[in-house]
Amino acid sequence: MAKKTVKVPKIVDGVPVGEVEIQVDDNGGPSWGANDKHRLLNKPMIRVDGAAKATGTAIYTQDVRPKGMLFGRFLASPRAHAKVTKLDLEPAKKLAGVKAVLAVVNVGGEVRFEGEPVVAVAATTPEVAEDATRAIVVEFQDLPHVVKGAEALQPNAPQVVARPPRIQKQGDAEQTAKALESCDAVIEAQYTSPMLHHCCLETHSITADFNGKDTATVYASTQGTFTIPGDSARELGLPQNKVTSIVQNMGGGFGSKFGIGIAGQWACRLAKEVGAPVKMALTRREEFLAAGNGPGSIQKFKAGASKDGKLVAVMATQYALPGIGNSNLAGQPYQYKAEHTYREAQAVHTNEDASVAMRAPGHPQASFAMESLMDELAYKIGMDPVEFRKKNVQDAAWHRQLDRGAKEIGWENRNKTPGEGKGNLRRGMGCGIGAWGGGGNAQCQVDVTIGKDGSVIAAVGSQDLGTGTRTYIRAIVAEELGLEMNDVVEHIGSSKLGNANASGGSTTAASLSPAVKDAAYNARVEMAKRVAPLLGAQADGVVFDQGRVMGNGKSLPWKQACAALPEAGLTAHGKWQPNLSSSGVHGASFAEVEVDIETGHVRVVKMCHVQDCGLPLNRTALHSQINGGMIQSMGMALYEGRVMDSDLGVMVNPGLGDYKIPGTLEIPEMIPIIDDGDDRQAVIGMAEGANVPGVGAVCNAVYNACGVRVRDLPITPDKILSGIIAMQKRMT
Amino acid sequence: MPDKPQDPAALPSSRWSRRTFLKGVGVAAVSAETMLAESTKAVEPSPPGADALNTPIEGPVKVTLNVNDQARAVTVEPRTTLLSALRDRLDPPITGAKLVCNEATCGGCTVLLDGKPVFGCSVLACDAVGKKVTTVEGLGTPDKMNAVQKAFVEKDAMMCGFCTPGFVTTISALLAKNPNPTEEQVREACRGNFCRCGTYPHVFAAAQAAAQANRK
Repeated sequence: MAKKTVKVPKIVDGVPVGEVEIQVDDNGGPSWGANDKHRLLNKPMIRVDGAAKATGTAIYTQDVRPKGMLFGRFLASPRAHAKVTKLDLEPAKKLAGVKAVLAVVNVGGEVRFEGEPVVAVAATTPEVAEDATRAIVVEFQDLPHVVKGAEALQPNAPQVVARPPRIQKQGDAEQTAKALESCDAVIEAQYTSPMLHHCCLETHSITADFNGKDTATVYASTQGTFTIPGDSARELGLPQNKVTSIVQNMGGGFGSKFGIGIAGQWACRLAKEVGAPVKMALTRREEFLAAGNGPGSIQKFKAGASKDGKLVAVMATQYALPGIGNSNLAGQPYQYKAEHTYREAQAVHTNEDASVAMRAPGHPQASFAMESLMDELAYKIGMDPVEFRKKNVQDAAWHRQLDRGAKEIGWENRNKTPGEGKGNLRRGMGCGIGAWGGGGNAQCQVDVTIGKDGSVIAAVGSQDLGTGTRTYIRAIVAEELGLEMNDVVEHIGSSKLGNANASGGSTTAASLSPAVKDAAYNARVEMAKRVAPLLGAQADGVVFDQGRVMGNGKSLPWKQACAALPEAGLTAHGKWQPNLSSSGVHGASFAEVEVDIETGHVRVVKMCHVQDCGLPLNRTALHSQINGGMIQSMGMALYEGRVMDSDLGVMVNPGLGDYKIPGTLEIPEMIPIIDDGDDRQAVIGMAEGANVPGVGAVCNAVYNACGVRVRDLPITPDKILSGIIAMQKRMT
Repeated sequence: MPDKPQDPAALPSSRWSRRTFLKGVGVAAVSAETMLAESTKAVEPSPPGADALNTPIEGPVKVTLNVNDQARAVTVEPRTTLLSALRDRLDPPITGAKLVCNEATCGGCTVLLDGKPVFGCSVLACDAVGKKVTTVEGLGTPDKMNAVQKAFVEKDAMMCGFCTPGFVTTISALLAKNPNPTEEQVREACRGNFCRCGTYPHVFAAAQAAAQANRK
């Protein structure tokens, strides 16, 4: 909606001095106005809960310890696929301090992956809970298992799930095959990526504060406050309106924390059994084995381009590897346009825990393969990889972002011939593009209350995953009411407050911020009506700015104006307004790497990511999130991956010591860029756009540096060395 | 109740000595009889010295920890980690140090032991007796943050914040030793700390800003 400019008194140190022009809404509804005209939004902000987090006073789910709380623990299956033939819980029950021992899988039942809970116990200390799991006698009869995607694709592989494979087919296979024949350059290649882990630092944890009476409070480490009460209530045998979920702070989710999960399910069941509060926090090992994961992938391509840089035909077969669960990879040719495409996709199952959403589900895998393929085609036709990309995407945003990123990374200094240069350390550059939805929905219900004393509360049950939800709630309300950040308090993270959507698909900002804006707007309109008579002004001529309420040439300090409110103050409700959010974000990543051709070690020297998001709410938090996206994409490219032992069916690296995530020594120079060329006056979620294209960018930089194309992630030194040896053999 | 320091006899016991515990590591199922055969008794804290080292302890032990300059009585088992004593047994608990991996790989539980950063998950509570334990809460409060905490807030060196106490503690210890570290030295000092949200660049900036603020 349009804005109009009005003149209001300029206040210096609380005294009106002349007039200034400010923008206000032109009509009855809220609108953000121009992106560069905000007072608080679209500026760097200090995280409002920063001090609590930096001093250890922020309370997370795992920090909560209600009186009499018991410690829950699982006995997890050591087998990939087996039948339970003997289960004796009595030795555990006899231990002093053990309060409940419940079979998760009974005799005759099957475990389908290593780490699947077999028994749940609750005890007075963590040590006794662990003793109890050791005291249980359990015997298994092994059943056939398969734990690697390539082996599961073999004709005689054990069948992991009962349902038959569902093969999706899109496009015209015959036309695409025919088109490939006339291409100037064709690449036929297979790209693979391993199963990945979210590695939330706070493991999946729930504390069910229940004493066998008629209410319960459930503290959950979750991405969705409102995904907790329903299932908890069912497990506890209570009506949903008797269960409150609390999510004050949570230690990372990345897509893996919706609903109560196994930790919550058994925390509730144990609490119900004992009639006492129970905390179930997965161990780090269980977090790897049984808290969900991101699917691995096998993607086969035959794709062709014309000499002038047109992607002509892409034929792709995509296998998602989601363990016993289900999952889809984003379709091919991902963000690019080709005249002829054909795609077959299916899930291939293994005896591993079910995949769940993981930061842009299915996209990093698809992007890695397609960006690698695009690069291979660009080199084959002898075209600059940036130019080749620009020829095959229409959207102006990507063109703008590719140019900006190329400038930041110093694209003109890349190797013109991959691997050129002297010495052991070879540098190279690569790029990739990505996209995400990030649109909003109408689930949020926000209340803004202005007290007679001038205090302001914004209340909504939403959770803050660390994205800065608390901070932008405060900023939106403060800006609307002409106040400062510290004049507003936000209440979030409780199912007793207004509903909010779960934080999945980067939808929180686009769903919540419009509802907050709407509530603040309605509060302002209501307040204007109350204060207008004091000023002798019309309600629609009342302006809120600089901590004052102004109209008719007069000006009242905020607190004095609020004194005009009734005893209870005023509360205004807000809901999502479609004009305040949009969807569809774009990003481009660039990486510069240094490859040691003697050791195969890859060091990322510099990374840059350009990201649009409509109206940026908080530029500081956005930089943090863009950095986070780049780092995760770098981890996927170079370090991360579940390693399975085919014979034993077990994970070889279920710990942060062996499943390598990026640490301080691997972090390159990082340049996060908010694409201000995006002038949409609407909020769009961007987090999941930022961790997608960097994977391909790093892989392509490795190729540019040393001439080795690694098509199997992660790019570990052995793969580089194998490639170098193969190259040397070809030369001699 | 997990801890009632004034009444150790009332505490449940796992009937595990450290020796049996070590013996049991890695064994998936151990018969209860083995464990029940172990005797249990609460012992008073032994004064440090040769005798104490030679006396095996088992079962609940009442100890006093010096945490953030306060004497805190707590009943632990010989195998109880310092981290678990702080989080699970002290009443009220001290929860700034986080349990992330419990196997010395992530740094989330970093606390200072006589000023030196250690992983709280890998120090036994009994071994912290007589030493000065400082957690992130002991470095500053929201109203009176130390320079590192202030810089973390200003540079947005956190997202979910679960790794933040560990990084703040590690960097505070670094600056006490080396008031003027290079970024490489900051990276080196924090190489035992993982962050998953990806705050590292802002963490490095915060360390530099804190060092600068300290110099003023």
